[in-house]
Amino acid sequence: MTIQQSIDTPLLDVRDMTTEFRTEAGTVAAVNGVSFQIGQGERVAVVGESGSGKSAMAMSLLKLLALPGEVTGGQVLLDGRDLAKLSERQLNKVRGRLVGTIFQDPMSSLDPVMRVSEQMIAPIRRHLGMSAAQARAEAVLWLDKVGIPDPEGRIDAYPFEMSGGMRQRVMIAMALSCRPNLVVADEPTTALDVTIQAQIVEVLKTLTAESGAAMLFITHDLGLVARFAHKVAVMYAGRIVEFGPVSEIFRDARHPYSQSLLRTIPSKTALEGGRLPQIPGLPPDMKHAPDGCAFRARCAAAEDRCASERPALTSRGPDHAAACWRPAGLGEAEKQDPGVHQPRRNDQGPGSRVVVEIHNLEKQFVTPSLFSRTPRQLVRAINGVSLRVHQRETLGIVGESGCGKSTLARILLGIDTPTRGEIFIDGTPQMIFQDPFSSFNPKMRVSTIIAEPLIVKDWGDAAARAERVRWLISKVGLGPEYLERYPSELSGGQRQRVAVARALALEPSVVVADEPTSALDVSVRAQIINLLRDLQDELGISFVFISHDLLTVRYMSDRIAVMYLGEVVEYGPADLVFEHPVHPYTRALIDAVPVPDPAVEANRSAVPISGELPSPLDIPAGCAFATRCPMATDRCRTEKPQLRKHSRLREAACHYAD
Amino acid sequence: MIDYSLKKLVQLVITTFGVVTLVFFTLRLIPGDAASAMAGDTLSGDALEALREQMGLNEPLFRQYLDYLSSLARFDLGETITTRIPISELLLKAVPITMTIAVSTIVLTVLIAIPLGTLAAFMAHKGRKTLDNFLTGTAMILDLMPSFWTALVFLLLFSLTLGWFPASGMVSWDDPWALMQRIALPVLVLSVTQVATMARITRTSVLEILSEDYVRTARSMGWSELRVLFRHALKNAALPIVTVIGLSFGNLLNGTVIVEFIFTVPGVGNLLITGINSRDYQMVQTLIVFYALLFVTINFATDLVYRSLDPRVKF
Repeated sequence: MTIQQSIDTPLLDVRDMTTEFRTEAGTVAAVNGVSFQIGQGERVAVVGESGSGKSAMAMSLLKLLALPGEVTGGQVLLDGRDLAKLSERQLNKVRGRLVGTIFQDPMSSLDPVMRVSEQMIAPIRRHLGMSAAQARAEAVLWLDKVGIPDPEGRIDAYPFEMSGGMRQRVMIAMALSCRPNLVVADEPTTALDVTIQAQIVEVLKTLTAESGAAMLFITHDLGLVARFAHKVAVMYAGRIVEFGPVSEIFRDARHPYSQSLLRTIPSKTALEGGRLPQIPGLPPDMKHAPDGCAFRARCAAAEDRCASERPALTSRGPDHAAACWRPAGLGEAEKQDPGVHQPRRNDQGPGSRVVVEIHNLEKQFVTPSLFSRTPRQLVRAINGVSLRVHQRETLGIVGESGCGKSTLARILLGIDTPTRGEIFIDGTPQMIFQDPFSSFNPKMRVSTIIAEPLIVKDWGDAAARAERVRWLISKVGLGPEYLERYPSELSGGQRQRVAVARALALEPSVVVADEPTSALDVSVRAQIINLLRDLQDELGISFVFISHDLLTVRYMSDRIAVMYLGEVVEYGPADLVFEHPVHPYTRALIDAVPVPDPAVEANRSAVPISGELPSPLDIPAGCAFATRCPMATDRCRTEKPQLRKHSRLREAACHYAD
Repeated sequence: MIDYSLKKLVQLVITTFGVVTLVFFTLRLIPGDAASAMAGDTLSGDALEALREQMGLNEPLFRQYLDYLSSLARFDLGETITTRIPISELLLKAVPITMTIAVSTIVLTVLIAIPLGTLAAFMAHKGRKTLDNFLTGTAMILDLMPSFWTALVFLLLFSLTLGWFPASGMVSWDDPWALMQRIALPVLVLSVTQVATMARITRTSVLEILSEDYVRTARSMGWSELRVLFRHALKNAALPIVTVIGLSFGNLLNGTVIVEFIFTVPGVGNLLITGINSRDYQMVQTLIVFYALLFVTINFATDLVYRSLDPRVKF
């Protein structure tokens, strides 16, 4: 099972590690005999969908799992010493010191009632034996290295006084501060904006390279893998199904699952009007792990043998191994998703009728200040936005968090009222929310959830409503048996289908989708996107598609509006905006998105945009983007550029757009 | 912090004024009036009218209210109806006794309940459910016992049967040891319920904090489970606990009334019962205001402690 490595003494050698979750409903082997090695200074990415066991695997290395999770077998050799055999006491000398850990959610990973200094200095003193003053200097040094401005002042701040990106920098500084040989990072950038993600990844890459630390990087973003990793481990259902150098995995993946995953990235074909390739079905329920190969139910090349015998991880060349009976995985024919080349059913392109028209929209929030010393403050969430959506058109809205895109969505739906400006909507707007787990009442059956808008609007009688609900659920590709279920019995993708059905209940003219796919796994994401496009073609609905996932927005949208601090800075056809961005902010956003191709990534500038979004309380006088713009001049800092026609189809707000 | 305290102080003053006003007008809602309620069936006609005149009840209501406010501002609390002793004098004697009982109870409760609750949470987090189930179960049963019942059982068991503590007798500040023995049973009775409630709250909030991400972060930096438990989990869990301590003080004041009566301790509670029994209108009104003020002050203190524990609190 062990993979041959070119490096003689690996830093980390994991052998046949097994982690089980013992619950009343049964024992789940979340990690089921995983073996791999990490060389000194090597960066290994672990990819897989949620539930594949990648996080459980990373947490098992240092036994940081909470009950009922428990490491039940295998060896974890760090520099030859088996961590699995160490006592808690001995492990505590390894944790933080030899292995640093970075967690996913910077908002909850730091103790909220402790100053950063308290949290950082104590471990340095303990592990490196420094005096309080030395440790403080060391902590300040690390904060400076990870890019915290004014580290001497900020070290005494509380985490809640910092932005998410800043907190994640603190987390990285903490993890690196005791000079570990290995850094385990569990989805360290998933909760962050693309621009901040690019900065964080660069910080991690530079600092680990500088200190010679190796890195185990858990992610579901294939683009990040291409940007970051030397080697890749693909996990499925608790096992590593493929392991190899990053270039080889991207060029010549051998396991059907890896091959399918790589295919789900929106490609040129898909962008030219085809459908997004998807992996059919869902990952197996780990409580009843199937015999044989766990992927066979979703595999186009599955044979009889796959059902009874589980293929072991076997060599596919130097440093490359895959767990499949077929040496090459899927054949050429099977690699093609039959749906991809099907033209979209009746893609007529956007119609001429205008469904949504927004003119000079402004939205301001006033902070309450009854007893406060500071004067009332004005948050300008939306600052003069004019947009238009035609029938059967999808308008994509992109921008960092805080740019005002969600406020815009709320105004479109009438949840918030604008401070100034006009909105015209022909027909009714509906909404699809980001989180399919919390946007449903858990005590309602699917049938009631879908019927709810009908009941509220007093639509038809009970029989007509039931008829409509059945029609709706069939439209989103679920059988009528789902109507009797509760949300907890559905997967994330199925819930999002139900959300789509509910949004369509009242025949909306426009559907506002706020990050509808961000909570979903890649393979399921493609299913939902294809569904939305099919429904658009069939029912002639318009979409306002809000997302920070630029590849998805590009695929979904006819036109794109790029927002920055409550303003539209660029507006035009999706392809044009992406291929030839005019505004420096658009260019920076696109450059920040990692491309799932290691060869492309190797030649790209590391950090396309520095700094963070300025506070909407204090919008710069001239161009809002001037504080972060690489090409800003004095004119930008004083004179505000207006959104004006750049070419026949495009508008941009930049003095130097031409 | 100063900003916050000032803000809370303004709120305190407003609340106090509201309480005083509410008590005044509520008591005026008694059917008949204060004089007839006080006199009962013993006085009639002219005598009652004389009493009314003497109590100022014939003045317009607003005038009475202003008089009441101005005497409160001068700390002139009036005299008892029957014995003509200044109420302030009685209060000065009774308050220290009640406060000693209340504060001892809180201290004892915190000393027992917080370690117990933390231990139960820690055990539950480690998957060792037995101790946790036992503690939670016992706490639940104790919590459900009304204090008048526990008081009687304790009295019977510890004083009358075992003879460990005196059941009645003088309460004097001259002999601290005797005083401690005298108030030991009331404090124990009150603590039983308080410990049960607080241990359960502590357990729940510590258990919740133990599965927070930042606890895992602390573990990943190599801190032992015990240090993480006390430095991170308990500190964060202290926030709801402080709130509960503040709130339970109200329950405690309630409890002192019953317990002081049963153990014949001459505290504020006993004063209140005497006042009610002798229909001493003036005294009851003063004591209600006193209790309300105490409660408002404790809430104020709770807010300040909370703010000092959690820098995020703004309002």
